[in-house]
Amino acid sequence: MRLARPLENLIDQLLILPTIGPKTAQRLALFILKLPVGEVRQLAQAMVDCREKVYPCPRCGYLTDVEPCIICRDESRDQSILCVAEEASDIIAMERTGFRGCYFVLNKNFNLMEDKGLEEIDLQPYMERLQSGKVKEVVLALNPDIDGEILSRYLAKITAAQEVKVTRLAHGLPVGGDIEFADELTLRRALEGRKEF
Amino acid sequence: MKIKQLQLNNFRNIEKIELNPDNNLNFFMGNNAQGKTNILEAIFFLATGSSFRSKEDANLVKFDSRGLYLKASYNYQDKNANTTLSYEQQKGKIIKINGKKPGQSNANRLKTVLFIPDDLFLVKGTPAKRRNFLDFVLKQISNEYNFNFNNYTNILKKRNFLLKKEQFKSRSFTIVNDLFIDSAVKLLMARLNYVNILDASVREIYEKLNVAPQQLKIRYALSFPLDNGKINLETLREKLSKEVAQRNEMEVKKRITVLGPHLDDMHIYQDGRLARQFASQGQQRNISVCLKLAELESFNKISGYYPVLLLDEVLAELDSEKRQLLIDYLLKARFQSFLTSVSLDKINLSQAAIFTIKNGCLMRKE
Ligand SMILES: [Zn+2]
Repeated sequence: MRLARPLENLIDQLLILPTIGPKTAQRLALFILKLPVGEVRQLAQAMVDCREKVYPCPRCGYLTDVEPCIICRDESRDQSILCVAEEASDIIAMERTGFRGCYFVLNKNFNLMEDKGLEEIDLQPYMERLQSGKVKEVVLALNPDIDGEILSRYLAKITAAQEVKVTRLAHGLPVGGDIEFADELTLRRALEGRKEF
Repeated sequence: MKIKQLQLNNFRNIEKIELNPDNNLNFFMGNNAQGKTNILEAIFFLATGSSFRSKEDANLVKFDSRGLYLKASYNYQDKNANTTLSYEQQKGKIIKINGKKPGQSNANRLKTVLFIPDDLFLVKGTPAKRRNFLDFVLKQISNEYNFNFNNYTNILKKRNFLLKKEQFKSRSFTIVNDLFIDSAVKLLMARLNYVNILDASVREIYEKLNVAPQQLKIRYALSFPLDNGKINLETLREKLSKEVAQRNEMEVKKRITVLGPHLDDMHIYQDGRLARQFASQGQQRNISVCLKLAELESFNKISGYYPVLLLDEVLAELDSEKRQLLIDYLLKARFQSFLTSVSLDKINLSQAAIFTIKNGCLMRKE
């Protein structure tokens, strides 16, 4: 059976999305077919807008469309506590816990088994943050896997050399799991129980 | 731990079996390819999530069926628990303990000791066989060991990768090396402690199962020399760090990790001589049987209850005198056993529950 070319094309496009298999792609495509054309246009426009306008904040790494981002411009936030995360999505999880410090996202380019060592990480922006003198404590919120552990140890050493206190999220996170998927409660508990490195 | 109820659906050649095993010895008799080992395999599959005969879960599904379902209800230390396992090609494997997907804790997990003819080479075989023996028990006993073991395997892989790529001077290597020592030391400590307990257990059993026992001794053998004296995490860490530093040149040259728990062994001595080299084949097998039984005893010493013993086709490998001694031991034991054999030839099985199995159908012999 052959599908109409545009329908087939839409299904193929949807298939590039994560967690979408052929069955789901087909169901989504058929659903889109039933929507009023105005709504479909809005959906498509939202995708394009988002992709064109949203980017990581150059100071902290949070996804933003203004510079500095809403977190960086919020003066009520505690400048003395800096949370270091691997991905911008980790900030979204941290924000849900009610954390009121600031962030730094390592735009991580670290994967030992793909020949990307610690030397590949650009630490200049991080060092600048530390050298500003405002930061009194760094909370390492990296994934609790081996690579996260290697990164944590590395950053702990560098941070301590700047005479800044280093803590890390206490275990209580699901082992081998991504921070991004930790539920709020475990993350909040982990944050409260953070230990000095 | 005693299995009170066992249910198998569409597993191998078995369409449906429901059985209430005896608390002590359960004997499954049948010709080859009739399905007797399948019952043991199902119990092991429920306990560990993998089969000891097949890597592909799909192979375990009855040929004309879409999926399999297994359930065991068991008790230990006055607690009741059950494990279910279903597998379908589309949905994959789903294991539930007491109706829930098991978390990290393995407290309610079904625990087994599997004894197959290959284990008779435990003494004679490669060091890897003896390491696997230790790891299997320790993983069942301790979540922490299980976690550390996976951690170590992972770190070792990265360490070897960096050595292979000649990156022993990179920042990553220094940190990976620290992690390597941390996790190695945890494994070593657990294994050293466990082998001490095993040593005592195996000696007791050996004396019970032998008319004229010789002196038996088991020692954990590290891949580096360890001075006599106090062994704890700190002394081990110090020693291992030193040894690693000393072998730096060798590792740089060989581009691989040359020491660590993945290269260790367990030495078994009979009258002070290494049994792997000096004991006769009969003696080696005999010690292997004792080691497997000591696996159950040591488990009980640590956890306060026994696992279930699954003994597949081992009887046929033993001479009639040793066979009867083993059966007598099992009949008196406080744990539950599941045995398979082609026949009851020359075996005196007074209080055992005997099942015959033919074409995947089970019958209890009265
Ligand atoms: Zn920002």
